[in-house]
Amino acid sequence: MQRLEKLELIWQSLPLLGEGVLVTMTLTISLLGVGLLLGIPVALGQAYGPRPVRLLMSSYERFFRAMPILVLLIVCFYGLGFWGIYVPAFGTAVVVFGLHSSAYQSQIFRGAIQAIKEGQLLAARALGMSRLQAIRYIVLPQALRLSLPGWSNEYSGVLKDTSFVFAIGVTELTRQGWQIAMRTREIFLVFITVAVIYLILTYLGTWLLERIERRLSVPGLAGQRREEHGRVI
Amino acid sequence: MRSRVRWFVAVGLLALVVGMIGGVPQAQTQAFKVCSDIAWPPFEWVDARGQFVGFDLDVMRIVALLKGYRIDIQNLAFDSIIPAVVAGQCDIGASGFTITEERKRVVDFSDPYWESNQAVLVHAASGLNIITAFKAGQIIGAQRGTTGADWVEQNVIKQGINVTLRLYETYPLAEQDLINRRIHAVVEDEPAAKVAVKTSRGALKIAGMINTEELFGFLVRKGDPNRLLPRINDGMKEMKRKGIWNNLIEAYFGVDVNLDRVAQCYADLKGWLDRNQPEAYAENLAACMSGQTYRRP
Repeated sequence: MQRLEKLELIWQSLPLLGEGVLVTMTLTISLLGVGLLLGIPVALGQAYGPRPVRLLMSSYERFFRAMPILVLLIVCFYGLGFWGIYVPAFGTAVVVFGLHSSAYQSQIFRGAIQAIKEGQLLAARALGMSRLQAIRYIVLPQALRLSLPGWSNEYSGVLKDTSFVFAIGVTELTRQGWQIAMRTREIFLVFITVAVIYLILTYLGTWLLERIERRLSVPGLAGQRREEHGRVI
Repeated sequence: MRSRVRWFVAVGLLALVVGMIGGVPQAQTQAFKVCSDIAWPPFEWVDARGQFVGFDLDVMRIVALLKGYRIDIQNLAFDSIIPAVVAGQCDIGASGFTITEERKRVVDFSDPYWESNQAVLVHAASGLNIITAFKAGQIIGAQRGTTGADWVEQNVIKQGINVTLRLYETYPLAEQDLINRRIHAVVEDEPAAKVAVKTSRGALKIAGMINTEELFGFLVRKGDPNRLLPRINDGMKEMKRKGIWNNLIEAYFGVDVNLDRVAQCYADLKGWLDRNQPEAYAENLAACMSGQTYRRP
């Protein structure tokens, strides 16, 4: 009887947890997008830029990698309010998490860019491409593919980091669970459910990225998974 | 090849746009922002339907109705609320705040609306009383940033009694640890302690009361730039005059009240607030919460 009650509690909590999932996923996808848009130029600057650009990009990347996300969130949200600048909480979260993630993503891309042999760039130049063209058409298409495994790691990392946003009043999955737990006092049960939801989200995301990786794979590109008769070799 | 790179960029841009749209609605509201840590029944909690309910929040809603302004309730961690009010991210803090000299240095308070004492919760099987609960070597739990935690600090630890104060994010977590017997006592406000005893199904009991005679107040930014305090104070007086106040107390603190009913009651009755009839709302809420017949709008 009591067990049935507990199952019912989880069932009744699902719509609220679903709202939390929506917020968590919107934030995760948005912040990865911002991080992607900023991370690629930072990586290119670090790999190919002249010395001052390299220095600038490196200090950007070091700065954001050194900052704890919670500290950044609070400084940006409450700190800006102090100067009379009011930013919506969700927007702040997207920007702060995006900047933070761009620093990490830039390192994923930099690693991938540097894995492309120098000789390819020289060959492209010899064929009459400009340096920019060579980067755009030869290096980036390969590097982005190589960075997909690292990127999927970044996805599962930031997905869980997003629970920090409650510090500035955004109610995502963990906080929804928290609220249900505080009302029902079924702390263990509710958080087990939340944990399972995170597991599913992580699994689905990495599965999707793996599929993309396979779809985009180019035979012969280093680090690419090769299959023969359905067997990974 | 080209299209795939574009596809990558397109996904990034789309994500950025989604993020911005998600942020916009909050920026457009002109209402005053009321911030509360909505995890502390019966003053404020999130019910089974995800509605924000509780005594503090109803007072805020009804005062706003009576004084003709709109509010927007924001759920925020307790120890973030005062910083948020100071920084101007929240206009009003409504979360069972005790009026203290220390807090008064950074924010302004409304007239007191509640008098509270601290209860000492212990495990029912522990045999501890209010004296033995504070013996040397015991572990006492409280929520971070509360006057309960402060009381233990000032009146037990600073008096040279060697107890450990363990701070929690919220009181329900401290109560859970007490049920699990990892700590010996929890010091928290009386109404919330009573709720804890009820929901623990006999695991917890109140060992005794500490008469701290604390007063709760709503708080606003220092200097009250939006002239909110006169409106709040006046609104609370009007609520008392019209009998709304007593009905709300009956609804949330009455003896026959079952707080689980709130999801149904609030959903059925909030229409009275939309029709600008707070008297009818409070009267029927009191009836509904104690299981009597009530009238829907």
